Amino acid sequence: MEKEKIIEVKDLQKIYKKRKMKELVQAVDGVSFDVYRGEILGLLGPNGAGKTTTIKSICGLLKPNGGAVYINGLDSSKNRLKALNDISAVLEGNRNLYWRLTVKENLEYFIGNRGVSRKQAQGKINELLDLFNLKSKENELVSSLSRGMQQKLAIAVALLADTEVLLLDEPTLGLDVETGYEVREMLKRIVKEQGKTIIISTHDMPVVQDLCERTVIINGGKVIADEKVDNLIKLFESRAYCFTITDELTEHQKMAIQENFPIYHINENQIEITLEKDDDLYIMMDILKEEQTHIEKIDRTTVDFEQVFMKLIKEGSENETVLASS
Amino acid sequence: MKQFWHLVNANTRKEFIELKRYYPNTISMILTFYFIFLAMLLGIHVVGDPQMADTNIQYVIVNYVIWFFMLMTLQDLGFTILIEAQRGTLEQLFMSPKGMWRILLARITANFFLNGTIVIFLLILSMLTANQWLYFRVDLILPIFLITTIGMVGIGFLLAGLAIIVKQIQSFLQILQFILMGLTFVPLSVAPYLVFAPFVKGVDMIRHVMIHGYTWTDFTALDYSALILNSIFYIVLGLLVYLRCEKVAMEKGLLSQY
Ligand SMILES: Nc1ncnc2c1ncn2[C@@H]1O[C@H](COP(=O)(O)OP(=O)(O)O)[C@@H](O)[C@H]1O
Ligand SMILES: [Mg+2]
Repeated sequence: MEKEKIIEVKDLQKIYKKRKMKELVQAVDGVSFDVYRGEILGLLGPNGAGKTTTIKSICGLLKPNGGAVYINGLDSSKNRLKALNDISAVLEGNRNLYWRLTVKENLEYFIGNRGVSRKQAQGKINELLDLFNLKSKENELVSSLSRGMQQKLAIAVALLADTEVLLLDEPTLGLDVETGYEVREMLKRIVKEQGKTIIISTHDMPVVQDLCERTVIINGGKVIADEKVDNLIKLFESRAYCFTITDELTEHQKMAIQENFPIYHINENQIEITLEKDDDLYIMMDILKEEQTHIEKIDRTTVDFEQVFMKLIKEGSENETVLASS
Repeated sequence: MKQFWHLVNANTRKEFIELKRYYPNTISMILTFYFIFLAMLLGIHVVGDPQMADTNIQYVIVNYVIWFFMLMTLQDLGFTILIEAQRGTLEQLFMSPKGMWRILLARITANFFLNGTIVIFLLILSMLTANQWLYFRVDLILPIFLITTIGMVGIGFLLAGLAIIVKQIQSFLQILQFILMGLTFVPLSVAPYLVFAPFVKGVDMIRHVMIHGYTWTDFTALDYSALILNSIFYIVLGLLVYLRCEKVAMEKGLLSQY
């Protein structure tokens, strides 16, 4: 069956005027990608890449300067409220909640604002409280919950809306390792049990590796990759080598490696590099030959997604984000 | 319509919960009202010519209650925007497919209902305590008051719109109560052009009922149409300005700022 597009982001442009400085910032510059029904898409990029701006444009909280977002074929900036029937979002996690209301009161209030009565929502609320292990906390104030619990509640609030699409902006930002893991496991279960279309923006690699099938990487407001996560890793894997040597490298050799290979890692007698051009391997050989370094063996190595990401970001970092002074 | 009722319901619950949870605030508000009403009622016997004082005090109390509701209507939506922006919940409210303006309308309806209940209860309680009873034409004053309120809700929306764009509007919202107090006490006969200002016509008609004993038939068709058209004009204007401000805020990325 043909995969069905549910969201279409077309040549999105967003320019902010900085308040004090008279400077224009091109936060998003021609971003285009499609999202298919039922998929989990990772929107990846370093800080300031334009992830939040893209997410908020999809939600209709920002009006783009150019381009458009279509949700189920509907232009979201022209039919904002209608499009919101299909979208819910967790934008700033725990800040998106009423800290002086209890867990349950938050769920009831937000669903009420979508025009659903408390009675109608009760079953689904209990279901979500169970799913998120929040049942025992349902009558506690949000202010007394841990950061991780608050994050889970924010996700529960978004899920309660029962929309086709769920947008998560940096769902693990500011969480410690353990809580981040917990939230990730939570999301995995949701993906499995609820079969929603999910867009996750993040610069947390384990989130992408654990959850996403496909990733759109943006940097400086531009899309620099739009690929299946597996494919990206494979692509880089085929070019990653590990040299095992018996001697130590000289400073000069280290400098030469640094200059020639954007991604490298030197660890005692092992050098890991990623090749870009065909003759990169010869260059590496030459560097080693220069000091008659003895090579014990050369292996293909595995790369993790983090390395792939860093590599792509480095390539894309030439793009300017500051447009002009007005 | 039914869905709007759910909005009102949810917002009434939330506001009620917050009244309970911030009970020191709530209790001090209740006590203030109680003692002000009591003082005014007991004043009926103490001050001057009892015959005249009676109508005057009744008028002062009714005026005070109206002023309170006007002020609430005017400030509530603006403060709602500011507080929700500070808490970080504003964008989440904007994610409702019902639209933020309906949520705001539900909020003001909820607060009107909650505060109305409190104030009416306290008014009756203080009348019982003082054993002094107010007699005024509720059947006349209430409809005039409600129609006037619709125009005030419009001004409330206008201010809410400004609050989305200019987050430093707080002090202005507070100054409003003095402007409002001034306008409440200026009779239209002194400044006839104020008939075009929001709510002045309504307050003037209530004054006629309270002091000059006007009834339904004493007002002309012109009076009624001025009252109604004034309110329609300001609610439409307010909503249009508000929606325009929403759009500007989305263009400039102001929803997440505070
Ligand atoms: N409201 C705003 N006003 C001005 N500049 C902004 C605003 N929001 C974001 N920016 C700028 O736009 C760029 C992209 O921001 P953002 O979309 O938040 O990136 P990310 O979420 O990937 O970190 C950044 O340079 C940021 O400083
Ligand atoms: Mg961001």
